[in-house]
Amino acid sequence: MKPRTIKIAATAAVLVAALSGLMYTTLSEGTEYYKHVDEVMSDPTAWQGKRMSLHGYVVDKSIFAKPDTLEYRFQIQSKGKVVAARYTGVMPDTFKDGSEVVLKGQLGPHGFDVSPNGVMAKCPSKYEASRTPGTPGI
Amino acid sequence: MPALGTFVLLTAFVTCAYAIAASVAGARRRSTRLVESGIGAFYFLAALMTVASAVLIHAFVTGNYAIKYVQRYSDTAQPLAYKIASYWGGLDGSIMFWVFLLSIFGSVAIYVNRDRHRELIPYVVSVIAATEMFFIFLMIIHKNPFSTFLTTPPADGAGLTPLLQNFYMAIHPPSMYVGFVAMTVPFAFGIAALVTGHLDDAWLRAVRRWTMLGWLFLSFGLTLGMLWAYEELGWGGYWMWDPVENAGLLPWFTATAFLHSVRVQEQRGMLRVWNVTLVIVTFFLTIFGTFMTRSGVVQSVHAFGEDRELALLFTIFMVFILTFSFGWVIYRLPLLRSRHEFDSFVSREAAFLANNWILLFSAFFVLFATMFPTLSEAVTGERLTVAAPFFNRWMLPIGLILLTLTGIGPLLAWRKSTVSNLVYQLKWPVLAFVVTAGALYALGVRVWSSGTCFALCAMVLTTIIQEFVRGAQVRRDATGTDIFTALIGLVGRSKRRYGGYIVHVGIVLMFLGFAGEGFKQEEQALMKVGEQLTVGHFAIRHDALRVTNDSQKQMVTGHVSVYEDGELVGSLEPAKWYFNKREEEPTTEVAIRRAITEDLYVVLAGFDASAQTATYTVTINPLVNWIWLGFGIMALGTGIALLPERAIAFATSSVPAGAAGATTSLLVLLLLLPSAVHAQHVESPEARRTTAARTPLEKELWRELICMCGTCGRKRIGDFCCSHAAKMRFEVAKLLDEGKTRDEIYQYFIAQYGSQEPLGAPIDKGFNRLAWLFPYLVGASGAVAVAFVAMRWSRREEETPAVAGATAEDASLRSRLDDELRDLD
Repeated sequence: MKPRTIKIAATAAVLVAALSGLMYTTLSEGTEYYKHVDEVMSDPTAWQGKRMSLHGYVVDKSIFAKPDTLEYRFQIQSKGKVVAARYTGVMPDTFKDGSEVVLKGQLGPHGFDVSPNGVMAKCPSKYEASRTPGTPGI
Repeated sequence: MPALGTFVLLTAFVTCAYAIAASVAGARRRSTRLVESGIGAFYFLAALMTVASAVLIHAFVTGNYAIKYVQRYSDTAQPLAYKIASYWGGLDGSIMFWVFLLSIFGSVAIYVNRDRHRELIPYVVSVIAATEMFFIFLMIIHKNPFSTFLTTPPADGAGLTPLLQNFYMAIHPPSMYVGFVAMTVPFAFGIAALVTGHLDDAWLRAVRRWTMLGWLFLSFGLTLGMLWAYEELGWGGYWMWDPVENAGLLPWFTATAFLHSVRVQEQRGMLRVWNVTLVIVTFFLTIFGTFMTRSGVVQSVHAFGEDRELALLFTIFMVFILTFSFGWVIYRLPLLRSRHEFDSFVSREAAFLANNWILLFSAFFVLFATMFPTLSEAVTGERLTVAAPFFNRWMLPIGLILLTLTGIGPLLAWRKSTVSNLVYQLKWPVLAFVVTAGALYALGVRVWSSGTCFALCAMVLTTIIQEFVRGAQVRRDATGTDIFTALIGLVGRSKRRYGGYIVHVGIVLMFLGFAGEGFKQEEQALMKVGEQLTVGHFAIRHDALRVTNDSQKQMVTGHVSVYEDGELVGSLEPAKWYFNKREEEPTTEVAIRRAITEDLYVVLAGFDASAQTATYTVTINPLVNWIWLGFGIMALGTGIALLPERAIAFATSSVPAGAAGATTSLLVLLLLLPSAVHAQHVESPEARRTTAARTPLEKELWRELICMCGTCGRKRIGDFCCSHAAKMRFEVAKLLDEGKTRDEIYQYFIAQYGSQEPLGAPIDKGFNRLAWLFPYLVGASGAVAVAFVAMRWSRREEETPAVAGATAEDASLRSRLDDELRDLD
């Protein structure tokens, strides 16, 4: 029995090592930070060039669309910190003043560059009716 | 009524407790009476849950908005079907729906197996009852769907989210739940076997079919989920590794693994600990999936919102499941020893084992990646996310390895394959692989990963065809019939094996569809009227943008001409619908031009009504329809494998085969139904002319009358579905002008069509109220009839092992065939 146990253990060890190695290398490429605007904008230079999902709220009346194109400029904020963002593409229906958004992309010197299809506007919620504090009913 | 609902739930809770106590006590004291009473309580539980469901559905249908849950998920304007579907539209109701299904499934499982596995039954009852008890407990203390407003209730409901108001809502969640729930039955049998120590292979037989059934529904649910995403959400794909999608996929992986490894245990008496473990893990993952989506631990578009208390309760339950189950496994390890040693790496066992490891690895990988953001936040305090590319990077090679095994595994012999055997078996499949790969390379198709996938598909198909042909040849020579009869006989003779091959064909077709994703093309453009956009060999021209209204919503429709290779081939009408009260959540109505080679998928992504400009996203999705087709074939194969073991005395007994065919074609039909429903209706100019009702009565009539053209799927005439509806609206207008009352108009249409069919709802009076019940009665009695017939078939075969003459012939034939087939193996 003994050599068999060793064989199995050795195979398992090699497999586990190989897979976790692979996993580690791919993870470092595959992951991105999930940050809020205030966390990033308190030290913008440190975050420049890093890929991330940026969470915040669209600043009221900050959305500008270049006529007859799909180019957008807008600002998002959280806890008083604001960042400008640029995006070219189709906007989700729920993207509007004040909506909660997650932007995928990276921070550049002039603001946040959103990657293609990188705007996710959160619906109030798809299954549950929204419950903002202070609203009666529901 | 809500009080009745809560009372029923409380009674159910107590009944659960009694069923567990009576069963365990009965089993320990060997008291048949106690065990029987436990089983009785268990059946009673199913009755109670049916009553509770009836109460809730009644509340939805009658619009009892005093109940919070009803108020939140429905409103008066909703069509009846969606009012019923709202039952599982929210968290509280979906938990109750789960318990309801589990109680029904559990009762059927107990009823079917009560004589065959007498010693296991009490424990099966208590395990299932304990699971139900947990969920009922959740409802009672935390998520009671019957809780009411303490203050004055609102007059109308908030309405079901428009996104959920479509055909798939009525069918995708139930299918997923049935799949999940069916996995509880194998778990209960597994635990019962562990507790009693009856760990011979008998329990596996009971478990295998239930796992297969659950697996079928899980596959169906996942496919429907993909279709839903593809047709309704409008982002051009069908799978994005969303946590909730993953939650359904996890038990699918382990159940698939189990269905394969169970063969090894049956054939060779190996992998016994492994199989018990897989059954436990599958069940655990169904609970874990529910936990993940209901408690808000992961962020998802589907998630129900954060709920710490629920998370805590679930965690306790899951820890309990794991400790309890694996505690028993460890205790019973001596009984679970393998009967044989592993002989060679070139054997069927080894292939099955490899398949199992890979499937299990997939499950853990997906689990890990899904939980990664939560884990990283817990460990490092930094929330890191992983997205679809990461999943694809791993799952793509994994999928291809699995596909390879699908091709090679069935060709290997049990124990050990000899070299000559390997050459004999692998010659053609490998040739097919090489030829296809060469041809694709010559054509310049990308080698990784689509090219590889196509070549592997060719290999697997060759393998399967070879298996069928060789088996049929052997049988033809043995029975002296023609090859076609031999083929049918072959499938009837070993349904699981050949059913399995047919499932593999389905998988191959699905892989073809997945590989098509590699050739996807997508363009977006903001277009003025008359402008064109070219994507691949298609071009679209933006013709017009129209805004119309009906009673439920405002519709913005883009009218688009489609050109293929420069020729006008048709028009598409992608739209956005803004439901009343939910204007901030418009639904995207995708327009799809389907073809077996590729879909043209057009989405109206944005618009400016005053400037008549529209933004379109145009996607070409090659081969995507093969995925749905593949599922149909998979269902067919599973149907064949699921046929009662002894129901086919021989291939000649055609009735059960017909039943399987019927079941499968039903499933396929269900799958095809949406395309019929969603097929775009041709609007005639006449239909557009009248867009607004002139009086409130007319508006009401528009909502109450059904379009009788026969293709609109019983849409209301106010839905502007086709020219026939326009004709009916015109008739309504005429009758109203003549000063007819509502009832007279009803009578006119009833006389015209010979029944109450044109009425959206039967006239709600006296006898007609029965009509509300009628469809449900038909459905229920149909189900009962099917169950009854199925039982009769299986029992008769058991009691009288076929007619005497046939038996003798069968026996000799069988033994000869067995020999032949063994050689083939």
